Parts: sequence; structure tokens; C-alpha cells
Amino acid sequence: MNRLRIFLIIAFRNLIQARRRTLLLSVAIAAVTMLLVLLMSLSQGVNDNLIRSATTLSAGHVNVSGFFKATIGDAAPILDDRATIRTIVEQNTPGLDYVIDRQRGWVSAITPSGALQTGLAGIDIDDELHFPRVVQLALESAYREGGQDVVLGDVNKLREPNTAVIFEGQARRLGVTVGDAITFRSQTYRGITNTVDATVVAVARDIGLLSNFTIFVPKQTVLELYQLSDKTTGGVLIYLKDIKKAEETMGHLRQVFEERGYDLMDHQPEPFFAKFNSVAGEDWTGQKIDMTTWEDEVSFLTWILTALDTISFFLITILAIIIAIGIMNTMWISVRERTRELGTVRAMGMTRRDVLLLFMLEATMLGAFASLVGGLFGAALASAISAATIPIPLEAVRAILLSDTLHLAVNIQHLVLSILAMTLVTGLSALWPSSRAARLQPVQAMQNT
Amino acid sequence: MKPIVELRQVSKEYPLGKLVVNALRDVEMTIATGEFTTIAGPSGSGKTTLLNLLGCIDVPTRGTVLVDGQSTSDLDDRALTHLRLHKLGFIFQSFNLISVLTLFQNVEFPLLLQGGMTKAERTQRVLEMVERVDLTPQLTQRPNELSGGQRQRVAIARALVTRPRIVLADEPTANLDSATGQTIIELMKEINQSDQTTFLFSTHDPRVMERADRVILLKDGRIASLGVESEASDSSGQGAELGNV
Repeated sequence: MNRLRIFLIIAFRNLIQARRRTLLLSVAIAAVTMLLVLLMSLSQGVNDNLIRSATTLSAGHVNVSGFFKATIGDAAPILDDRATIRTIVEQNTPGLDYVIDRQRGWVSAITPSGALQTGLAGIDIDDELHFPRVVQLALESAYREGGQDVVLGDVNKLREPNTAVIFEGQARRLGVTVGDAITFRSQTYRGITNTVDATVVAVARDIGLLSNFTIFVPKQTVLELYQLSDKTTGGVLIYLKDIKKAEETMGHLRQVFEERGYDLMDHQPEPFFAKFNSVAGEDWTGQKIDMTTWEDEVSFLTWILTALDTISFFLITILAIIIAIGIMNTMWISVRERTRELGTVRAMGMTRRDVLLLFMLEATMLGAFASLVGGLFGAALASAISAATIPIPLEAVRAILLSDTLHLAVNIQHLVLSILAMTLVTGLSALWPSSRAARLQPVQAMQNT
Repeated sequence: MKPIVELRQVSKEYPLGKLVVNALRDVEMTIATGEFTTIAGPSGSGKTTLLNLLGCIDVPTRGTVLVDGQSTSDLDDRALTHLRLHKLGFIFQSFNLISVLTLFQNVEFPLLLQGGMTKAERTQRVLEMVERVDLTPQLTQRPNELSGGQRQRVAIARALVTRPRIVLADEPTANLDSATGQTIIELMKEINQSDQTTFLFSTHDPRVMERADRVILLKDGRIASLGVESEASDSSGQGAELGNV
């Protein structure tokens, strides 16, 4: 321990002695660590956005939905006996926060100025705890040319029949503002084309890419459009106190429903709209329950996270290699400068292992200090960027980052991991020059001038 | 007196391009415990090579070097390191102190490498040694804050703090003025007489040779004269003669 202490003193003072070199390397290591933390915060931010948008717009943490097939070729995304299914869920979900149920549909939204294909979510606004809290209304100027910098409308007006809450991107495409009408057209499950008119009661700020795929209406509007009984549901959305338990809870609920005699579809980690074709091709009729987690419902978006993480990985790897070469070179210079000192301590009885340790400590100390500073600075910068709610000007970028403002989320585990990883890279980079130093014969080192 | 160092037909060759330099040739010598011996000779005569072999930081090309009864050729790096740490002390011409450590830490360093002592024991041992070389007021100073003579006294304290059997010094007074050099030699002699530590050092300085019990003269890698105690101690004898070498 005392030996380690004196090695640490030597390492520390050597770093101080070569202050210009130490400073330059520290800045480089700190900068890469900061970048790593920023990229990881961006990835975490996108992940947060994904969870937020998914669990607000299209899914609960766990979802009990299903398909009803009157004939083999059908695939209606509805479940009968909503009340019973909801009761089973409420009574058998450990760690339950709350439960809602929604109607689902896929419609053409048509106005005199435009049209788009979108999902329709039929909700009971009094039942929804999350939705009114998370959805923020957009300024009229954000979606209407010549619009004012005022928020129009009220989400709570969804209590009224034939109303709709849309998102600003949809409002721009449809050319509507609060108070305008939209016609929803779809085929009923009996094969009849039906339409329903609804009035826009609020325009919400986009919540990433998913905002393009959902319009919120009262449940009754969906039931009318599809001519369904109010005993049916599009899905029961389960919100847990701990989202991390979604997978485990889904497994448990599958067992519960099976025990009560329900037919369950095999688990497919996809959103309901991706299953129409496969379900329509399956050889059964009646009703089957389909259970998913929030991740399954947004699986078509996880490429964004994968792409971000891959780009980050390559960028950081390249930078880490540059840093490693810098460290190796610097340590090699340090070894050369101190060869005579090395010869002396080896002659005095310092072992090769101790020489290796001494140089590795020096590099590791430098790496730990610089990456700590860089990591903390990166975390502070990420928090500041996020707090500043900087708008993202490009729609494509907004779509990819699933947010209209730059959102970076610092994850403590990621921060610690970044600091440790950069410290490790720095320490390991010193391995080669350190082992060269350790292999020096004392007599050769002593003769070095 | 029991021999502490023995060289038997020791030769050391260095490759120099296509040539081979014979730094030492068939050297045969014995150093007894407690001797205060100097190795003299012109530059290139093999003094440093001889000290390197005795200090176990180099091994002979041929022959046997026995340090405290152990043949250095039979030992691996780990064992040689252990031998150096526990039985040998080194004093260098350029002092070779660790520049980033204080005087106290420099002297404490070999004890930390040895291990096995409590902090209190180490501190006591270091303070004793520092007091002996009369540097107590400079305990917290770093080498660059000390004079050449003070640095060499720190090096002596560092070499002796582990209580080695042999202290090897390669021209310990070469970088010091004559008065300081004389003081350093007197200090080494005093320690030699009080502790019976064997001192073996190389020098060009005739006044330093005068203080040695024995002067071993090297010439072209061979022993020109092994000297004897009475000759070396006599300032009008071998020592004075060697000063002209």
C-alpha cells in the first residue's frame, strides 16, 4: 500500500512536471470523453423520446389487444368483452400504475386542402392520465401560415362527440386549424365504406415521427366509423410503475389469460398494423389475444437508435484510436526521457512489474482525471442543451430524433461507463511503452544519456 | 575475513558493430567483508564494467561472479533484482536521485521496495540515515533544491538505508569539487568503519585513493595490480602513483 502510494506520488508529480504535455493530452482525452457523453446523452434522449411518444401515442408499457376474424381472410384489430379483459388485467398485473383502453383504426383523413393516411386512436379523455399531461399544444404559427403566436383549442374538448386532436405536422399537411373539420373515411369490418366528420379541437406539438401516424378522437367516433359495439376495444393499455418490468409482466399476463381459456397469438414483436397480412393469412376464425410491450409497438423505429449508436460507436472508436496513439507516443517519450531514472530504480531493486505499474499508473491517472473532467463537462453541457429547449429546424432531423427540440438525457450509468472506458483506453494505451520500459536492462538504461 | 565478492576468470565482451570489445579479460579478484576498496584505472580500462558485474546489473560473458556466495550467472532477473534490493547499495556519479521525490522520500524509496516495515520503522530508519549524512534540515526539499554535495549525501543515505552488505560507488566524487568530494569520502569511510559495510568504488582522484584500504588497478580490462592494504593506505605509495595514471 505504501509502495503504491509512493508510485502514485511519482506518477502524479511526473505528470505535473511535464505539464504542457499533460495538459495537451488531458484536453484531448477530456474532449473525446465529452463527445462520448454527449452522443450517449443524445441516444438516451432519443430513447426517452421514443418511450414518451410510444407510451403517449400508441402503446401502454404492456398491451393486450388482438384480432377478430369472422372469416379466415379477415383481420379486424378488435377484442370483444372489453370490460372482462380490463378487469382481468386490473386484478392480475403486479406493479400496476393504471389501465386504459382505446379503440383503434386506420383511416384516410381528408380536408379540402389535403389528405393523409393515419391511425385513429379512440380515447376517453377522463380515463387518460398520461395523454393530457404529456401532450403540449402548438402555437398556431407553428402549423398555419400567417397564424398567430397563440395556443388555440383545448385537449379536454375531446369529451365532446366527433372532435379530434391532431399534431402540427398533420395540421400543416391537411391545411387545418382549430375549429376546422376533418373527414375520416374507412371500411367497416363488414366491408362497407363509412365516413365520420370531426372538428379539430386542439393541435399538439409533434412528438417525433409517431405524431404523423396518430389522430386522437373520442372512442365513440371510432365506434361509429366502424359501426362497432361499445363492448369492443382496440386494446387495453397497461401502465406499470416500472417500465423495465414490461417484458416480465407481459409473460405473466399471457399465462393468466391462457389459464382463463383465452386463445393467444404467438408473441410477435411488431405493432398491430404490421400484423394485418399475417393474421389475415392464418387459418382460424374467432378471437385471439395479442400481447405486446411498448418496444414491440415501436419496433419499426428502433433502427434510429441502432443507427445513432452505430455512428457513435464508430466515431468514438476512431477518436479513441487517435487518443491511444497519442498516449502511446507520449508515454514512449516519457520512457525515453526517464530511461536513466529507470536504470537507477531497477539497479536499486525495483522489479519489472513495478516499473510497468509505475508507468501504467501515470497514464491511468491522466486518463481518469481527464475523462472525469470531460465526462462531467459533457454531462453539464448535455443538461444545459436539453434545458435550453433548442428547436430543431429540419423536419427530417426532428423525425429521426423523435422530438421538435434537442433533447439530451444524461444517464449516470452511461456517464460512469464513459469515464471508465476512456480511463481504460488511456491505461491500456500505455501498456506497450510501459512494458518496453519494464524490459529495459538496468545496465543499458543506466548507460543511456 | 570472509570474502563478500569473488570474481573467477571473469571476462566481459560487448559487440560493437562487427567488432567485439573486450571490456574485461580473465579478471580474478576477491573482496573481503568490510573492505574499503577503490578501483582505479584510466578511462576505458573496465572500471564501470567491473562495478556493473559486481552490482548484478550485468552478467559476465565468461567466468563467475560470486556475490555473498551466490553466482550471478545462475540467477534470473527476479533473483538478481532481489539480490540488488537486499544486499547491495548504489551510489552514482550523477547522484541519480528521483527528481520528483523529496529528500525523505528518496531515502525511503528502497525501504518501500523492500516492504515488510511499518511506517514508523521506516521513518525512524530514514531519519537516522538523514541525520548521519547531516541533512535533517533539508528533509522536505527536492533534489533540484540541493547542492551537488548534498545530493551525493542523499544518494549515500539512500544506498545505506537498507543496510546492504556491499555499497558500490561509480566515481562518487567526479561531479563534486575537491573539498566536497573529500567530505563525501570521509563520510563513506566513517560508515565503513562504524558499520563494517563493504565499500567498493571507482575513482580517478588520487586524494580519494589515499583513503582506500586497497587500490585495485585496471588496465585494458585486466587487473594490473590488486594492491594491498598497507600500500593503499600509504599516501606516498601505490595510491599516489595511480594518481598519474
